[in-house]
Amino acid sequence: METGSIALVLNAHLPFVRQPDYPRFLEERWLFESLSETYLPLLRLFAKLEAERVPWRLTMALSPTLASMLGDALLRDRYTAWLKDQLELADKELARTAGDPVFHPLAQAYRDLYQQNYDDFTVLHGGSILPAFDFYYKKGRLELMTSAATQAFLPIYRQYPEAVTSQIEASVVSFRSDFGRPPSGFWTPQLGWYPGLEELLSAYGLQYSVVATRGAMLGKPTPRHGSYAPVSCPNGFTNFIRDVAATEAVWSETEGYPADPAYRDFYRDIGFDLPLDYVGPYVEQGQIRTFTGFKYWAISGRSQEKLPYDPDLAAAKAVEHAENFLYTRARQARKAAAHMERPPLMVAPYDAELFGHWWHEGIQWLEALFRKAQGTSELRFVTLGEYHKQYPENFESVPEFASWGDGGYAGVWLEKSNDWLYRHTFKLIEYMTELAERFPNESGLRERVLNQAAREVLLSQAADWPFLLRSGKSGSFARKQIEDAVTNFNRIYEMLCANTVGTEWLTRLEKRNNVFPAINYRIFRRKR
Amino acid sequence: MNVERLNDLSIEALYALAEKMGLDLPPALERIFVVEALIEAFQEDSDERKSSGDMAIHIEEKKFSGSELDEIDASLDAAPCIARRYNETVVHWIPRDPEWAFAFWDVKDEELDEFEREGSYGGLFLRVVRSAGGDDKAAVSFEVPVNDDDDHWYLHLPEQDRYYRLDLCVRIAGKAKAIAHSNVIRTPRAILADSFDELEPEAEALAELSGLSKLRIQAPPERHPSRILGGYDD
Repeated sequence: METGSIALVLNAHLPFVRQPDYPRFLEERWLFESLSETYLPLLRLFAKLEAERVPWRLTMALSPTLASMLGDALLRDRYTAWLKDQLELADKELARTAGDPVFHPLAQAYRDLYQQNYDDFTVLHGGSILPAFDFYYKKGRLELMTSAATQAFLPIYRQYPEAVTSQIEASVVSFRSDFGRPPSGFWTPQLGWYPGLEELLSAYGLQYSVVATRGAMLGKPTPRHGSYAPVSCPNGFTNFIRDVAATEAVWSETEGYPADPAYRDFYRDIGFDLPLDYVGPYVEQGQIRTFTGFKYWAISGRSQEKLPYDPDLAAAKAVEHAENFLYTRARQARKAAAHMERPPLMVAPYDAELFGHWWHEGIQWLEALFRKAQGTSELRFVTLGEYHKQYPENFESVPEFASWGDGGYAGVWLEKSNDWLYRHTFKLIEYMTELAERFPNESGLRERVLNQAAREVLLSQAADWPFLLRSGKSGSFARKQIEDAVTNFNRIYEMLCANTVGTEWLTRLEKRNNVFPAINYRIFRRKR
Repeated sequence: MNVERLNDLSIEALYALAEKMGLDLPPALERIFVVEALIEAFQEDSDERKSSGDMAIHIEEKKFSGSELDEIDASLDAAPCIARRYNETVVHWIPRDPEWAFAFWDVKDEELDEFEREGSYGGLFLRVVRSAGGDDKAAVSFEVPVNDDDDHWYLHLPEQDRYYRLDLCVRIAGKAKAIAHSNVIRTPRAILADSFDELEPEAEALAELSGLSKLRIQAPPERHPSRILGGYDD
């Protein structure tokens, strides 16, 4: 019997950034970069592990907005076009660095990466990678969870059960449509939990989630096994608990593995380093410098000049860090096991986009983890569902309101830069509930209008917007997303009050904000 | 954000942004030149950004990274282009952490006009009511005066793991009148629910191994029956 288990949980999420009204849109690059550096490389890793019969287990939360964009035809075409641009830039880079023994091989590696991505995306996956995730899901290696529809930070909306259940219901419907079965696990955005949420989640057949260590430890009563086993609420809903040490080994910006000097530097990018007349066609509108993905430098030591990136050195470091991770987890498990009657579980949740995109070698690190773990009987990788099936009975405790954000509560999503938005999102919920009550049995055009209103309400609640407003990155974009949702909703509300519907405008809006095609506005009716 | 979205901003917002970026632009400049000047200024800032090297920002933000316009975004705090309020008498609040809650409110124009017309209007204030439980049985309350043009505040709440309600009140002729009530909120616990002497030794050890110290979570004071009984010694 193993000493302990590890559950790696990756939260794959991007907000809804589809912008069909513009021929190119900066924020759509978030999706393209994540596809190129995280999602497609992850799928290649899964295939490799399968082919070589390396045992692996991973849990992934796929947010409904991300899943919607991954299945979208317009974004599929745009991503394909973007890959062609990347290949063109790679060819230019090969020519520019020709003869350079250090940089030319790196340019070649980028050429290979984008060619592989192009081939995988267009041929192997036929333009949609969701079925590939489903393939590993069905095999039981990968467990897929859902998350709140637009990743609303749920504790802020707790006074509106209709809003929280709408986030849950829209996500469950979306998951069933994408994967043909209901989800068992629910990723609470930002690990934002509050007592009582378990009742709403259980009502949709959801069985478990992951909570922040703080929330779990402050739960009532204090968990018997610390963070080393999940806790169950009185209604049976189970909460897995984030392991502080396992997550910090990767998450800490200064001391985590990704900060190692040998790894690729995220910031040094030819989009900022080379003349604009050279990189112009590959940056925003030919004049706004953006990351291109072509990065040639290592993080390097604090006191030294940037050193050229050495992929072999970095790959060896990724293996070393995987070994270190397993060694420290095994030591941690031994300590905890001495106080437990079952093998301790360490749950390590991360943002999926950390791997490959920011931490370039992150996918290699994951690969090394699974390879090295197969040689030991001490640690076992499990999915949350697998563990839940094996240990359905857990210590009964209800976690306290908390999150994994700075400060441990709601401070990231509720502070001076973003608090203004709640006046609007709260009002939209109240108006939407009123509409759902006033028009419970609509069909045809009026039903379409009401469904679009419900979409706008959900879009306004994305936790990404207050997050971006706080960070200052793409803050105007975030503000505009909220303003657009509020403006669209208010127009619909006025149309319904005046009993006039602008069909042309509605159709255009439906095409633009086409997320949650099967939404039913009645999810906003008061729960009786 | 891109140039098109800069173009979406009002000329006043563009001038405000230029001022923030330290640009001294002549008044009444065509907007195309203002946008151009902003882009140029940004280019200069970008060079500084590159030389500064380490930008201490959270890892989670990395997936949203990508453009030099991020800095423009960061300096742009233009008011939202939507109505600021809904002209209704209402008060809401949201617990932020064990100590603070965010309150926002509004008073309908017509209602405020009526108060002021009465002549003995003494202003608005918030009354924080600590409830005994989740119900409305008020136990303790305190008042926070606010100005007529205030519409939001962060309020410090004295105790964790307690229920609070907020009343928006008006003072007329020296008498207080509640004109809106908020939802009831609960401040989260910040210390363990159980003291270490109530936990089994195994549970205490596992709590420590779970990073209690790192999270700066403390246990409640131990309950010593002898100290309680001590009162009887007198």
